[in-house]
Amino acid sequence: MGRTNDISAVTDTASIAPVSVQLPGNATDLMRKRSALKRELLKQKNLVPTRIAILGGSTTTEVKSMLELFLLAQGLEPKFYETGYNRYYEDVQFENPVLWNFKPEIVFVHTTWRNLAQFPEILESENDVDKRVRHEMARFQSFWEKIHDKLGALIIQNNFDLPHLRPLGNLEASQSFGRVNFLMRLNAEFAKYAQSHPHFLINDILYLSAQVGLEEWQRNNFWYAFHMAVGPTATMALTRSLTGIIKSIYGKSKKCLVLDLDNTLWGGVVGDDGVQNLILGRDHAVGEAFLDFQRYVKGLQRRGVILAVCSKNDPENAKAGFSHPDSILKVEDFSSFKANWNPKPENLREIAAELNIGLDSMVFVDDNPAERALVAEYLPNVAVPEVGSEVSSFAGILEREGYFEMHKLVQDDLNRTAYYSSNVQRDAAQANFGDYGEFLASLEMTAEIRPFIPTYLERITQLINKTNQFNLTTRRYTSAEVEAIAQDPSAITLYGRLADKFGDNGLVSVIIGRVLGETAEIDIWLMSCRVFNREMELAMFDALIEQCQIRGIRKIVGVYIASPKNGLVAGLYSSLGFTAMDATPAEQQLWHYDMPATYASKSHHIRRAADAVIAAPSAENEPVPATGLL
Amino acid sequence: MPENGTKRKEFLLEMDEILNLPAGTLRGAEKLEDLENWDSTSLITFIAMAETNSGVSLSPDEIVTCSTVGDLLRLARVDGNQA
Repeated sequence: MGRTNDISAVTDTASIAPVSVQLPGNATDLMRKRSALKRELLKQKNLVPTRIAILGGSTTTEVKSMLELFLLAQGLEPKFYETGYNRYYEDVQFENPVLWNFKPEIVFVHTTWRNLAQFPEILESENDVDKRVRHEMARFQSFWEKIHDKLGALIIQNNFDLPHLRPLGNLEASQSFGRVNFLMRLNAEFAKYAQSHPHFLINDILYLSAQVGLEEWQRNNFWYAFHMAVGPTATMALTRSLTGIIKSIYGKSKKCLVLDLDNTLWGGVVGDDGVQNLILGRDHAVGEAFLDFQRYVKGLQRRGVILAVCSKNDPENAKAGFSHPDSILKVEDFSSFKANWNPKPENLREIAAELNIGLDSMVFVDDNPAERALVAEYLPNVAVPEVGSEVSSFAGILEREGYFEMHKLVQDDLNRTAYYSSNVQRDAAQANFGDYGEFLASLEMTAEIRPFIPTYLERITQLINKTNQFNLTTRRYTSAEVEAIAQDPSAITLYGRLADKFGDNGLVSVIIGRVLGETAEIDIWLMSCRVFNREMELAMFDALIEQCQIRGIRKIVGVYIASPKNGLVAGLYSSLGFTAMDATPAEQQLWHYDMPATYASKSHHIRRAADAVIAAPSAENEPVPATGLL
Repeated sequence: MPENGTKRKEFLLEMDEILNLPAGTLRGAEKLEDLENWDSTSLITFIAMAETNSGVSLSPDEIVTCSTVGDLLRLARVDGNQA
């Protein structure tokens, strides 16, 4: 165990400055220290700008102020527009020029039950209540559609909380004319709208108000004095939740949960106590808490969070722990498994390298405070929640921090563990080949590369907003913008899916080109880290050339905007035969490529699906009309 | 009372933070109307702080009667002379 103490080489020096500022855990301290906290947070490097309009049905000063701190702590630097008190509807319907000029990327509609003009009358007929629901929905829908159509912004809308007074008692919930019943119906309608409109997201204040408690949620003195529909403590919960959604939009949610084993996933030390004596299962109070934590972790894995083990153990003992008959988690649930006696920061670095993800995508859970402190000190970009040693609290703490919040869930998310596990198989296969080309040929890769189709717009938007490494410009677009680009005849759009004999990697690459005359400028070119070094970028370039040939393009302009994370592709255009244009700054380089008379494909190991790119529309994958002509 | 003296001192330091002033700036005699950052945001924070620290639920009507920082301390019951 001679290597255990040398961890100087693993210190995390990732370029996005870690947040050294810890935000207070209670609203009063957060409000009191806001100026000092903001000053400190603004010292971070590489903050990502965002423009957020807060359309308030009540006073929103505190919402703005707390949201700003939480977003800064996530590396986002918001600029805000705030409506006047309860002017949310008028500002949109009458197109307030200040709002229009502000050009928000995100519009947050902060309404509550207090913004409903009318509730059903007592004993009102079901038909009349139905009419009210439809009327209210029509009012909101025209409002949302105007935001989407005219401002092109992504909408985050509160659903409805419940009034804390119930003149009808429990009948409020059971009768169609009851206020609780009415609000729940509207919430269901809001949810239905969200399901069919990808640019529309719900901030679930029904849940948040239950979590905080209705009396704390709606504080009379703050309502009557300031018309704050949500009290200070509740505003903190609300803005935390909003931050979760917004950081997910910007691809800043965590991807990987790294777990210790002994006394984290089960009680006891597997190497000392043996598998049969581990505390895990329904017949023991603490064992049940470990079981529930495993169930929570399994739930995260099922929705696409990558799991990894980082444990001080012999590997055989560590793996044996999962053979416990009550263990919900199995060895195959983990995409990386580090059980050894090395320092944990070193193992975490290796896990990040193995999975090809950034350290800032990882959350580390360990019951041992010394291990947590070590990781926090050496790898400040890794999130290390203070989970304590009480297993029954672990899930709640992870939940409260909202590390893995997602604003969309697509099939590719659910397949993530399979992707990473098959990558491990690929790596093992690669070891058997002396020649990399032979290895690539052995993978029997097939790519589907086509113009955007509606089926994949959500996944494409997700990739645009979260891909950092293989991303030439790191430009981010909202789903509304991606939708518009997909329908813009002057845009070249390509998505790429890649499969091989180990499995389907899913949709992994995106190109957006802007055509002006005989020139196409590459606005976005990105690729998932899952398929680095597989020639997928060459296959995408081949497809781009085909598109340019069809359109009579004579020159392609490549743009490279340097970011803290995309150094990997700094040389891409040069390697493809582009020439650097004169006098462009290093941080935003322009490259040009003259279309050759004849072009030989650069990708030699990926077979393109025969109907790719110029496929006739099929019933299932009907191309977006304008790009269908490509 | 020494306990109240300490509480008062702490409260003044917290008021400095609310108003974005260097620690130790406020002494109690300052007029609220002369404080540049005394606005609705700092008022809301003050009310929340009085609740958290002293368990006192204040309404803006009560605060309207205050003209100095010392008056606020009395309302928040941190100077021994309850309002």
